[in-house]
Amino acid sequence: MTTPFLEIRGIRKEYGPVVAVHDVNLEVDRGELITFLGPSGSGKSTTLYILAGFEEPTRGDILLDGETLLATPSHRRNIGMVFQRYTLFPHLSVGENIAFPLRVRRWSKADIDARVRRMLELVRLNGYEDRKPAMMSGGQQQRVALARALAYDPPILLMDEPLSALDKKLREEIQHEIRRIHHETEVTILYVTHDQDEALRLSDRIAVFSQGCIDQVGTGPQLYAEPATRFVAEFIGDSDFLSCDLVGSNGTTADIRLGDDLVVSGVPLHGRPGERARGALLLRPERMDLSRQAGPDKTGLPVQISDITFLGSNIHVAAATGWGETVSVRLPFGHQSISGLSRGDTVWLRFDPGAAHVFT
Amino acid sequence: MSSHAVHSITAAKLPRRRKAGGLRGFGGAMPATFLVILFFVVPVLALLLRSVLEPAPGLQNYETLLGSTTYLKVFANTFIVSTLVTICALVIGFPVAWALVIMPSTLTRIVFAILLLSMWTNLLARTYAWMVLLQRTGIINKTLMQLGVIDQPLALVNNLTGVTIGMTYIMLPFVILPLYGVIRTIDRAVLRAAALCGATRWQALTRVLLPLAAPGMAAGGLMVFVMSLGYFVTPALLGGTSNMMLAELIAQLVQSLVDWGLGSAAAFLLLVVTLALYAVQLKIFGTRQMGGR
Repeated sequence: MTTPFLEIRGIRKEYGPVVAVHDVNLEVDRGELITFLGPSGSGKSTTLYILAGFEEPTRGDILLDGETLLATPSHRRNIGMVFQRYTLFPHLSVGENIAFPLRVRRWSKADIDARVRRMLELVRLNGYEDRKPAMMSGGQQQRVALARALAYDPPILLMDEPLSALDKKLREEIQHEIRRIHHETEVTILYVTHDQDEALRLSDRIAVFSQGCIDQVGTGPQLYAEPATRFVAEFIGDSDFLSCDLVGSNGTTADIRLGDDLVVSGVPLHGRPGERARGALLLRPERMDLSRQAGPDKTGLPVQISDITFLGSNIHVAAATGWGETVSVRLPFGHQSISGLSRGDTVWLRFDPGAAHVFT
Repeated sequence: MSSHAVHSITAAKLPRRRKAGGLRGFGGAMPATFLVILFFVVPVLALLLRSVLEPAPGLQNYETLLGSTTYLKVFANTFIVSTLVTICALVIGFPVAWALVIMPSTLTRIVFAILLLSMWTNLLARTYAWMVLLQRTGIINKTLMQLGVIDQPLALVNNLTGVTIGMTYIMLPFVILPLYGVIRTIDRAVLRAAALCGATRWQALTRVLLPLAAPGMAAGGLMVFVMSLGYFVTPALLGGTSNMMLAELIAQLVQSLVDWGLGSAAAFLLLVVTLALYAVQLKIFGTRQMGGR
């Protein structure tokens, strides 16, 4: 068995009676870009801060190449970090900011100059060397911060929502840059964000945090297609949930009843099936279909259309079930099943049971 | 008549108000301007006139002041003590201001209350308290002797040591308050960034925190230095008769010797030095916003 590059082993952080991080375990491969995705207060930033050495865990260990990192103070961990807020040294120029970690490491002047130039090239800010941070835009400042964090070849780069203060267009541009820099430098990146688009766009793998725990770790498609918990299903991609009754189960799949009489069998089951338990059926908007007829096998659920929105390549149809829950169906433009439909019409909602999920 | 002149100037400027940004709202500031002229500019001019007119027209008062070793020693004393007090106040004040920023807010409020209370306590009372503490049989000498650190009591009072100690104490709030204001605006994430960049605590202090706090250091330091230059009560009580400071000299010249000309010249020199220092500070820190970011 090989030692993982970075291992977070049973990390727990308590602030008095509040448990911020609940026994988090995670293994990260060398060169991987992994995002910690979760809402605020889910423990993702605390975990990152423990890695940085700003917080000490109540329990657990962090191993880099099999050696514990916890005994090393922040300034000797040789970890790079880009922060949520702009943390460039305001009294130093861009070049001096990038040179700062090299100066404290007592590099020679020639080496520092060469490295600063290379880092400015890496983040595509050649010529900005003498600017003061206050004279640069937020996006540029975060690029300089990235250059400063990578200047000393750290094995790990931590990023704590570095783009949350930027507008959407700029954010996408820098996400692209981060991808490119990640490929060029092959540094291992741990990236904290609450933005699922950002996580999906950037990551090799995503660790979904919820209430201090990692609910699931996997690639974007894995998390989308096979969410382990209802929270993951809600957080990654768009989702509709319908409440249902569990009428039978073999442990991995369940038979469910929707409304009064529609029974669907063979839906993948997550969680423990209790007797006569209630469940939540996860349906993805693009994996549902609408039809004017019930169909021969009678697997359609009658719903009433409450709204139709045209969005270019897609059409969103909002519909209500007989018991008052709503689903939102996404159909490609020109899809025949909805031509001529309008608000108030009743149609049959159909889906593939094997591609749906039921959570208890 | 002078008020009439000011009126006509204002009226003439009014149509061009938008262009002349510096004069915008001058009309409203006029009473204040008049008061400043009456209570500040006029007395200073009177001072200057007296220094060159009494006892006879000419610069002989300045020649006397700058030509005699006695008076030069007073100037030297004043600058040495003021410099020492400024340095001591900054060295002690910086950690206190930093502590005030990072401590829990309830504690901050308590420490501020203590600081203000000491500022509001009568200056004489505080200076006499230092006399008691610093004298040969005072608690400081007694403690040091009992601990065996010294054999003979130290001469801590009636000399410049005593003046420096007493004035440092009195000036501390004037360093701590502006420093607190500046340090509070420094984002502490910047210090975390410095730590992750590999900076030791000392490097983070000298390369990041101190440069960022420099405007506050300059503001507080200048205020203390200037106040020290003209300070009277503490040097008079804690200092000896042999090493006088400038304010004592002025008092003696005017009160005992009734030499208004020489006294005015000394006071005017003090003012010139003060303004020169202020100009230097403005030159270095300019109109740049006082603050970390």
